[in-house]
Order: sequence, then structure tokens, then C-alpha cells
Amino acid sequence: MTFSIRKAMAASAFAVGMAWAGSPAYAKTQVNFTVAEYSSKTGPYFEEVAAAFEKENPDIHINIQVVPWDTLLQRLTTDIAGGQAPDISIIGTRWLVDFASQGIAEPVDSYLTPEFKSTFIDTFMAPSVIDGKTMGLPVAASARAMLVNTELLDKAGAKAPANWDEFYTTAEKLKAVPDTFAFGLQGKEIETDAYFYYSLWTHGGDILKGDGTSGLDTPEALQAVTLYKKMIDEGLTQPSPTNYTREDVFNLFKQGKVGMVFTFPMLIPQIKAEAPNLKYKVLPFPEGKAKATYGVTDTLMLFSSSQVKKEAWKFIEFAYKDEWRTKFDHGEGFLPVTKNVAAEKYYTSDPDIAGFAAGLPYAKFAPTIANWEEIADTTVRALQQIYLGQAKPDEALKAAAADINKIRSK
Amino acid sequence: MKSRTRIPTTPLLMILPSFLLAMSIIGYPILDLAWTSMQEVSRFGKMMGFVGLVNFAEVFRDPLFYSSLVRTVIWTVAVVGGTLIISLPIAIMLNDDFYGRGLARVIVMLPWAISLTMTAVLWRWSLNGRAGLINATLMDFHIITEPIEWLATAPLAFTVEILVGILVSIPFTTTIFLGGLSSLPQDSYEAAVVDGAKPWELFRYITLPLMKPFINIAIVLNVIYVFNSLPIIWVMTEGGPANGTDILVTYLYKLAFRFGQLGKASAISLIMFSVLFVFTIAYVLMVMRQEHDSADEEVKHDA
Repeated sequence: MTFSIRKAMAASAFAVGMAWAGSPAYAKTQVNFTVAEYSSKTGPYFEEVAAAFEKENPDIHINIQVVPWDTLLQRLTTDIAGGQAPDISIIGTRWLVDFASQGIAEPVDSYLTPEFKSTFIDTFMAPSVIDGKTMGLPVAASARAMLVNTELLDKAGAKAPANWDEFYTTAEKLKAVPDTFAFGLQGKEIETDAYFYYSLWTHGGDILKGDGTSGLDTPEALQAVTLYKKMIDEGLTQPSPTNYTREDVFNLFKQGKVGMVFTFPMLIPQIKAEAPNLKYKVLPFPEGKAKATYGVTDTLMLFSSSQVKKEAWKFIEFAYKDEWRTKFDHGEGFLPVTKNVAAEKYYTSDPDIAGFAAGLPYAKFAPTIANWEEIADTTVRALQQIYLGQAKPDEALKAAAADINKIRSK
Repeated sequence: MKSRTRIPTTPLLMILPSFLLAMSIIGYPILDLAWTSMQEVSRFGKMMGFVGLVNFAEVFRDPLFYSSLVRTVIWTVAVVGGTLIISLPIAIMLNDDFYGRGLARVIVMLPWAISLTMTAVLWRWSLNGRAGLINATLMDFHIITEPIEWLATAPLAFTVEILVGILVSIPFTTTIFLGGLSSLPQDSYEAAVVDGAKPWELFRYITLPLMKPFINIAIVLNVIYVFNSLPIIWVMTEGGPANGTDILVTYLYKLAFRFGQLGKASAISLIMFSVLFVFTIAYVLMVMRQEHDSADEEVKHDA
């Protein structure tokens, strides 16, 4: 008995000693990097970059924390509140205003050499500039587009729609194909609002009006949502969209059960892996009064509280080398944010990626305004009430616009 | 000469350290919460200055707070009530000696070992309209012809969530009841059987009254757990659609970690704490008075 206790004590003493030795105690500088998990490839990819970097810089240790997107903001909030903020993190660009206005984000202009700055595509650099200061670097970008199942279109004898009128008639024809749905409409959880913005923008509306008030009480917004509601009521979408998240809708598409969806480039690698026989085509969103797509960027942010900014920046510059960016963008299915990668043949000749990239000249970005998540949630609530038939479209939109104006104190 | 009651200092001194420890562990977060709720708090937890009761005023002006509060009451009463009604018969059955009782007990307890979040994720998948197991099974048995979208509308989604809530509360409650049943004195049953009592009468006049303290504990503990339970609703619907399944704790989570309104969120959690505190005290007092009354009655009968 005593023997086993002593053995256990010895073992735990050994473990404590090992933990002590394992911590970077030999004057190694540690850079803490919080990585948002885009897919199962994200973590291993950044570990690989870090390992290569540490080989060249043996005095710096990059400590990578992979956090799923759903909990990233919560994790950063608690880390910052608890004084445990990382040194660098990937964040959604839509959050950057909140980080910048609270003095959490470090302006990087003084670190950014003209040479390094020139590697980025300006369109993607712009959303990270707040009040003239660059608050972070674009790390990932995507533009949205429409995917159609060409096999179902052929069966229905319909052609791929170019504008909303054609979209509606195509949907009516697709409805006749048994066991499938014409249009996959998202109505649940993250980006339910984005699915509506596609329609809003192409109908000529916008999230905010010129004077900064909500654009939900405009005739364009009403037109955009009425079309969706009409399609729900006439059975041109899958039943009960409020039970379908983005992933649920995309899964229907992968199963060949839905004719048309609005999606992001990251779906392409998934289709290739999970449904290699699916026949599809990437097309721009149906046009109304305007052409539009949703450009989404994520930002690599340096924390103002960091004690190791110089080392962190050294790693950032390393990670933006062409070889690493190519690997990242290809692996995750993103559009490139640096000029050299964008010039690769793959991004101009591949019909899928080119289809998504085609929208970039007229891409709209989510406005960089404070309290974005709350505004998005207010919008989603109004949309769900409309989709469920709990509220009349014009009333729900007006109420949501009033709420948003209150949140923005306009 | 006044007679002085001697205060027993030694025992008090001896419990003082653990009392202080307990108070600092329990008390500090509450004080901190109260302090936070009266501050303007930045998105990332920085205190921006004292604002008094502004956060509370904002909470009480918020219509979503009231609808979440009402739904919290429905949620708690339905889940706790349902759990008790189902758990007691299960416990009585498992208390009887039968072949394979050990296995049956393990099966009932097993769900307890799975985290609530995992259970909720499983149910979310099973309830999926097109790809879910539940619809597939019901359609195979020709009970339904069209798949049901279980989580698409708030009333149905909330009902389903309550049922899942009941299911996951059963193991814990059954355990309390089993402990209670095995401590009941067997001689009262034997005496009653000799007097010709039927099974229902045994249950109604012996089991139920003797089980009262255990039922009370099960009620108090379950109310506290269920009232504060986030994972089931959060995983299955995130309080949606259109906030139709939000209870206070999911609404609080959204406010704190999505919208970054930590001050308002602290105010709500303080309100939740007081609701639970008042409920627990009131319930315990009520139970104590009942016991007191029935003790009095017994005295009268004896006289």
C-alpha cells in the first residue's frame, strides 16, 4: 500500500517537473495566436507554418489555439476581459470596429512596410482601414454566388436564370421535378440575414441608407423579402425554411435535392469530396436593379496589449509568403487576398473559382459599424417572423428598421 | 445578578475558516456580478464607469426579457413536473426485485454519463426534417406521410425541447428516488398488507408520504438545474426562430457573448439569481411549515 502511494507521489512529482520543463522556460519568446477554424485543415496548416517559422527563428515559439467560429467571439471576449488576450488572432472583419473603438486592436501602419503592403489586393485591404488607420490584415476572403444543379435544370427543361423574373419562372419549372425542391432558402442561425442581403442588394437596396439609417424600411427591401415569402408560400423552396441552417441547405444541394442555392466558394471542395458526380454551375446572383455579391473578409489582428508585437509581426510577415498563402487559399477554397496568388492560373482558368471571383468588382461588404451582431440578429428575427407568417413583411421590416436605428442611435 | 448565556466560542471559531472560504467562493462572484450590473461595461469587459440602475431599467424596458421570463417559467414547470411524474414510477419499478434489475438500472442511468451538449446535438440531428432518424422511422411505420419539420416553428420546437429536457433529467431524479425508496421501513408495508391494503393504497398512504422529503429535494434541485440550463435549447434552436424558444439563460448568453452587452447581461443574471433564491427560500419555508403543521396534528390526535 505505502509502496503504491510513494510510487504515485513520485510519478506526480515527475509529472510536475516535466510540466515545468515543458513550459518555454529557456528565454524563448512565446507568441499566442488564436486561429479561427475554417475546416479540419485549418489547425494542421497553421501548425505547419509555425513549425517552419520556428525552424528559422529558434528563439520564438508560436502557440496556436484553434477555436471554432461559433465560439470565437465569446472566447476572445472572455480572454480579453480576463486579461489573457492572445497576441494575434483571426477575427471576422465585421467585428473589427468594436475591437478598434475599444483600443483592443493595434494599428499596424508603423509595422507595415510599403513593400509588404503592396502584396495585398486593395479591395480586401479597404475594410480593415478604420479612421485612416490600418487595424489589421485581410487573412481570408470569399465572394458569394449562385450554384445551380444543371442536371435538375435539364430535367425541368429550364435554363439557368440571369435575373429575378427568370429565377422565379425557373423555380416554377423546377418544382415539377419530383422529390426535389426548386430553391434552397436558409432561415436558421448564422448568416440567415446574408441570404436576404443577396436579394436586397440585387433589388437595389442596401443594409444602410446614405444617411446611416437602416435600409430595411425601403421599397427595395420589401420587394426582396416579398419574393422569398411568395416562393415559400407557393412551395418553390424547401418546406419550413426556418428549420434550415446554411449547412442544411447546402447538404440538400450536395444530395441533388435542390435546384438552386446561394453559397460561398468553400462549398466547392466539399462537393468535390462528398458528391463528385453532382453536375453544377457557378453563376452570378440573379440581377434585379443592380448586380451584386457579398464580399466577406476576415482579418488578422494584432492586440494592443501584446508584449511581443515585434516577434508576432515577424511571424505574420512569414505567414504571408506566397507559398503559404497558396496552400491556405487552395486548401480552404478561399479567394486570394494577395496579388501574387491571385495571378495564379488556377484563379483565372478554374470555372468554379472564376465564377466566384467574377463578382469581386461589384462586391458589397458588410458595413463596418459598431454592434453589427445585434443588428444582424434584429434582421434575422424579422425575416423569421415573415417566413413563418407571424408578421406582415412591411410591418416586420419597419419594426426591425426602427430597432436598428435605435441600436445605432440614429 | 444577570445570568449570561455563554456563547460557545470554540465551535464557532472552528467552523469560521470553512464558513469564510464558502462565503468567499459563493459570495465573491455574486458581489462582482452586482458591481458589474451597475457599470457601463465595454464589449470586452472593461468597466467604463458607474451608471447605477440604468442596466436594470433597460432590462425592464425590453419586451424580449418578459417573453423569455414567461417561457422560462413554462420550461421549468413543464420539465420538472414531467420529470417527477415519470421518474417516480421508474424508481418504484427499479426498486422491485426482478431478473436483470442491475442492467435495467444501468440503462436508465446511462444517459447521465453523456454531456448535455452531446445529447442535444444528437437530438438536433435526429429531428432534422429531411435527414433525421425520427422522421425516417415514423415514415417507415407509416405513422406520417410527409416529414415533419420539428424545429421550424417555435411552439413545436419548444415542446420537443421540453421533452428532451425531461428525458435528460430522469436519471438524476430516479437516483434520488431510488435512494429514498431503499431507505423506507419495510415493516409499515408488512403491517399494511396484513391489514388488507391494496397496492394503490400502499402507494398513496405509505410510499408517497414517506417519500415527501425526497420529492422535495428533487423539486428544489431540478428547478435550480433546469431554470439555468443552457445547452438543450441553445444547441437545438439558439432560442429561435424569431426568439420563440428563448428562455432567460439563452437570451442572457446572446446578450453577453454575441451583442457584447455585458452590463445588461449581468443585470439579467442577477435577476435570475434572485428569482431562484426567493423560490428556494420560499419553498423550503413552505415545506418546513407543512412538516410543522402535520407534527402539530399528530400531537392533537394523540391528545
